[in-house]
Amino acid sequence: MNADLETFQKSNKTELERRGSIFNIRAPAIESVTIRNQIAVGFGDGTVRFFQSGFEPKTVKAHEGVVLSMAKYADDVLTGGDDGRFLKISSDGNIEEIFNFGSKWVDCVASHKDTKVCSSGKTVYVWTKNRDKPQTLDHQSTVAGLAFDDKGKRLAVSRYGGVTVWKLNNNKWTSSNYTWKGSHGTVTFSPDTKYIVTAMQENQIHGWRINDKADLEMRGYPSKIKSFTWVGDTPYLVTSGSSDAVCWPFDGKEGPMGRKPIVVANGGKELATFVKALNGEKAVFTGYTDGSVLLAEIDESKKPIMIRSSTGAEVSTIAISNDNSQILIGDMKGSILLSSLWADN
Amino acid sequence: MENTSQVPVTVLTGFLGAGKTTLLNRILTEQHGRKYAVIVNEFGEQGIDNDLVVDADEEVFEMNNGCICCTVRGDLIRILSGLMKRADKLDAIIVETTGLADPAPVAQTFFVDQDVADRTKLDAIVTVADAVHLSSQLVDHHEAEEQIAFADVILLNKVELVEDNDIVKVNDRIRKINPFAKIIKTTRCDAPLDEIVGLNAFSLDRVLDIEPDFLESDHDHEHDDDVTSLSFVSDTPLDMDKFQDWFGNLLRTKGQDILRSKGILNFKGEDERYVFQGVHMLMDASPMGPWPKGKDRSSRVVFIGRDLDNMNLKEGFENCKSA
Repeated sequence: MNADLETFQKSNKTELERRGSIFNIRAPAIESVTIRNQIAVGFGDGTVRFFQSGFEPKTVKAHEGVVLSMAKYADDVLTGGDDGRFLKISSDGNIEEIFNFGSKWVDCVASHKDTKVCSSGKTVYVWTKNRDKPQTLDHQSTVAGLAFDDKGKRLAVSRYGGVTVWKLNNNKWTSSNYTWKGSHGTVTFSPDTKYIVTAMQENQIHGWRINDKADLEMRGYPSKIKSFTWVGDTPYLVTSGSSDAVCWPFDGKEGPMGRKPIVVANGGKELATFVKALNGEKAVFTGYTDGSVLLAEIDESKKPIMIRSSTGAEVSTIAISNDNSQILIGDMKGSILLSSLWADN
Repeated sequence: MENTSQVPVTVLTGFLGAGKTTLLNRILTEQHGRKYAVIVNEFGEQGIDNDLVVDADEEVFEMNNGCICCTVRGDLIRILSGLMKRADKLDAIIVETTGLADPAPVAQTFFVDQDVADRTKLDAIVTVADAVHLSSQLVDHHEAEEQIAFADVILLNKVELVEDNDIVKVNDRIRKINPFAKIIKTTRCDAPLDEIVGLNAFSLDRVLDIEPDFLESDHDHEHDDDVTSLSFVSDTPLDMDKFQDWFGNLLRTKGQDILRSKGILNFKGEDERYVFQGVHMLMDASPMGPWPKGKDRSSRVVFIGRDLDNMNLKEGFENCKSA
């Protein structure tokens, strides 16, 4: 197979690099979220920076060490840090400390409407509307991922040995366990909320059909999967961890069971490290170990487009503005590209 | 592969009260102009306060890869990944384990997790032993034996409280379990830090430091499950295929009982020295340049583990000699 990336690497700047802005932050870009017309990025120096086309980025000194996790909360962002603080940050720089866990890290954060959630160690803390004190949900091992379903009715918590799915009924949480041997990291619900999927410590992803707990094993990756994204109406779950963007179909009654994934955006010797759907399109941005990014349709016969050329550091985050007009690409050395996606913008 | 951007990680083991906290406080407070992060266990000793101290729960995870003794420290994977996202670079990381913890999952984490292996490297396992109590701890606790067996450096601490001839006895007892660890006798863990941190003990070229004439194997241990060591030397070149068959099978079937293995190998028809070192069934091996001119090309291997007498190690090694 032709490496899509190699054919591009000989060329110079991409069109998006020519018309965009590049910022060198000198700290790894960890995570990003989109808020109105801004994109907030958490960095390894504890700052959260708000990027907006045509403006200098606004810097908020949020955490002492590393911004470990981030989530959108209405027009604000929630962050968890290795200084033990769980924060709500607004784009005007206002910081509200929701809770301080002292020497314990705040590993994961999530939100849905008025509900703010974080995890520290084996416990998930949930702040619902008008409550000062959090409810606590305990687990047998350290929490490695949090995800709400689309309606905010269920909260999936990944950990060693599987996922605990919590449901809130009449102010009481009930749980259901989805078990699979091994250590489970990042977790996601399918958009139709029929499936949950985790990235594992082993080089594979694992899914469960929620109603009957049927297992889905998705294997064959050469490295750990750090990123996945739901793409299109099918939908496809597109993952990093291979030299291609690996796209698993989740349509029909059986989802990807017994089917082969589509592979697009071949990176040659580079492995995909971050994937991000283009909202409303059957297309995905794929970032690689060398810092380059391709945009590909989920169609093996189509050629991808080069979005970002190599920076020498792995792509660690990609965000798209809500109106699909802007893209932000960040890498582990803190190089940030902010550019308009379309030439006539 | 040596990668200079990898942050070295020192694993610090030892029983409660042996002096680990004294050593950690020294590492954090001495003016050495370096930035060290320390990962401590919340069930360990108290009394360390510093921005770069991280609390950990020791969480041992089994890998779902069909390898029965392949356990890793899940909390370490998470914390090391977090530390590697820092904007400022750390000079070293020290991981404290509790007295009752088996050091194997910690060491294996550096072999198994690719992100950890890419960004950090296991520097050395340092065991702090209490010269007063070690002999009785070795009788009562398997974990004490394992901590001695795994160690690259042993700080024999509190020697000021022990008579000279008792120190000799403790020293001999340690040597029976672990013939290659460096033993440093200390009072209040007062060894120079450069003999504890930044040793590169897991780098393959350090295997070349194995002395060819260390202690002969010892058969007077009391129980079959005692940790002992065995070593073999051969001046006859080895057959590479035979060795790979034997050694691969040995680690697969007996890896649970072999705590550490190291060796330098002279293969027939090969100009380069081959070195390996392993922790349980995980192993790292590589050619390590030509043999020094004018020196004997002898193969030497060392095993530390339990039940070594029943593995036919001598016979297996002898059978690898080329015809």
